[in-house]
Amino acid sequence: MKTGRTFRWVALGLLGLFVIAPMAASIQFSLEAGYKGRLSLTAYSQALAEPGLGGSLLTSVKVALGAMGITLVLLVPTVIFVNLRFPRWRAVLDAISLLPLGVPAVVIVLGVLGSYRSLPNFFTGTPVILAFIYVILAMPYTYRAIDSGVRSIDLHTLVDAGRSMGAGWMKLFSRVLLPNLRSGILAAAFLTVALSLGEFAIASIMGFTTFPVWLVSVEGNNPYVAVALSITALLFTWILLVALAFAGSGRRRRTTGAFGVEIVDEIEEKEGLVPLPSAEATT
Amino acid sequence: MSVASGARVKRAGPGTRRRRYLSAIGVVPFLAYVGFFLVVPAASVMVQAFRDNNGGLSLSNLSTVLSSQQPWLHSYATSLELSAASAAIAGVLGLVGTVALVSSPNRILRRLVTTACGVLANTGGVPLAFAFIATIGNAGVATHLLSELGFNPYNNGFSLYSFTGLVIVYLYFLLPLVILLMLPPVEALRKEWREAAATLGASPRNYWQKVGLPVLTPPFIATLMVLFMDAFAAYATAEALTTGSVPLVPIEIGALLAGNVVSNSANLGDALGFGMIVIVGVAGALYVFVQRKTSRWLR
Repeated sequence: MKTGRTFRWVALGLLGLFVIAPMAASIQFSLEAGYKGRLSLTAYSQALAEPGLGGSLLTSVKVALGAMGITLVLLVPTVIFVNLRFPRWRAVLDAISLLPLGVPAVVIVLGVLGSYRSLPNFFTGTPVILAFIYVILAMPYTYRAIDSGVRSIDLHTLVDAGRSMGAGWMKLFSRVLLPNLRSGILAAAFLTVALSLGEFAIASIMGFTTFPVWLVSVEGNNPYVAVALSITALLFTWILLVALAFAGSGRRRRTTGAFGVEIVDEIEEKEGLVPLPSAEATT
Repeated sequence: MSVASGARVKRAGPGTRRRRYLSAIGVVPFLAYVGFFLVVPAASVMVQAFRDNNGGLSLSNLSTVLSSQQPWLHSYATSLELSAASAAIAGVLGLVGTVALVSSPNRILRRLVTTACGVLANTGGVPLAFAFIATIGNAGVATHLLSELGFNPYNNGFSLYSFTGLVIVYLYFLLPLVILLMLPPVEALRKEWREAAATLGASPRNYWQKVGLPVLTPPFIATLMVLFMDAFAAYATAEALTTGSVPLVPIEIGALLAGNVVSNSANLGDALGFGMIVIVGVAGALYVFVQRKTSRWLR
């Protein structure tokens, strides 16, 4: 069908253009830095000299690593435990892990400040609180990533084999289960880091200068520097996420279940329960 | 390690009832965490919305929000319009894109597009707003190009820092989301159905009217709900782009919390937040309802 093919390429072509144009324009915008037709790296070198860059990046990285650590320590044992001992609770925990999708980020801030304002200052008064909240924001995705990882291995056989060979639970956990769950854990870690590095709403409202908050404050004075840095950050996140999509799908197709093709498989697999990949709600 | 202790108890002796309860300790940290950082805060917002400044039960916050003398109803209207408009436009365009994608026999292309969509649907916030400022902001690359061609969009009523601008930017992460969510149902439309329809004398138009669209309607509505919730809760893009000039509920709440707005009603923010929970809740309930209705043909 001739018309079908034309329609297909026009539709996909326009979508592709819409996706690529803003990114291409950002790169050109940052390279021109106001001088039309003259490309230079001025905006990028200015960016490196901009005061506050190092500090805000450091805060963001610390928060991201903290959120990643909490996510793994909290979710990996829980998911293994539930699959091993309480398979009946699986659906309940699965549903609970989706709850954050129903609560807008702004409302979480409202609630955390309202409920815990009276607690000591180190709790709501330092960026530490951000790490704890980001764990919640990322949970719909991280829980799914770890859960499908755990389900794709033969948990009972591994545990029984390890136990019968005399491994204690600690050894079993570190030598048998963790290596087998590598891709699911990696996916959860990447997702938490990507989300934490980009989150703006909560950090901004609570008054912490993370990297995105700092970027917005720079934009007013020097939009070229801001765009140069933000396009760099965006491409970095994209590389992280594409790597994740391929790492997850390389060996076993259904191990990560958080992204791209995997999410489609997940939807088919689970019928009703669609993991909702919400971007904005969390950033 | 909770796993270790919990599981060993059960291994040690095939359980009395008490031991079974003891071994449930493994899920306690998870439940406690979600309780502390999600359930308690959300519940507190809902309770505080009904308290006055002195802590007594009252509807004063809600009546302030609903009062026509106050700006809040207008914010809700703007937020609802923005989310509905961007969800509807993204839904229709995304569905066309999905059908186009599925009609392609090229598997590599499909793989590429789904991976890209997974990444793009998670792109948002500040960098996205900046990318659009660099493109069609008032000093943007495309704006410059267009005005050299004799058509400056800013002299013709267009502005990126407006309602229309926000819709365009939201499409950037909503469109990939539509493709991700609609690809499985569109793929599930069987070739045989189309052939059977054609054999019975149906035109392609008949086929879409009588078979294709009815089967796709429930998942499509579910997708619209997801898009709506996504757009409704969005904060970062709008704040970075308009710095509050388009009055959206999340941004108003942020401003109240950051103390930019003087208010004599301490729990006004909670009342606004309560309204958001209700609206997202309705959309979420509709999503679950429609999802259950999804035709068995697609399973």
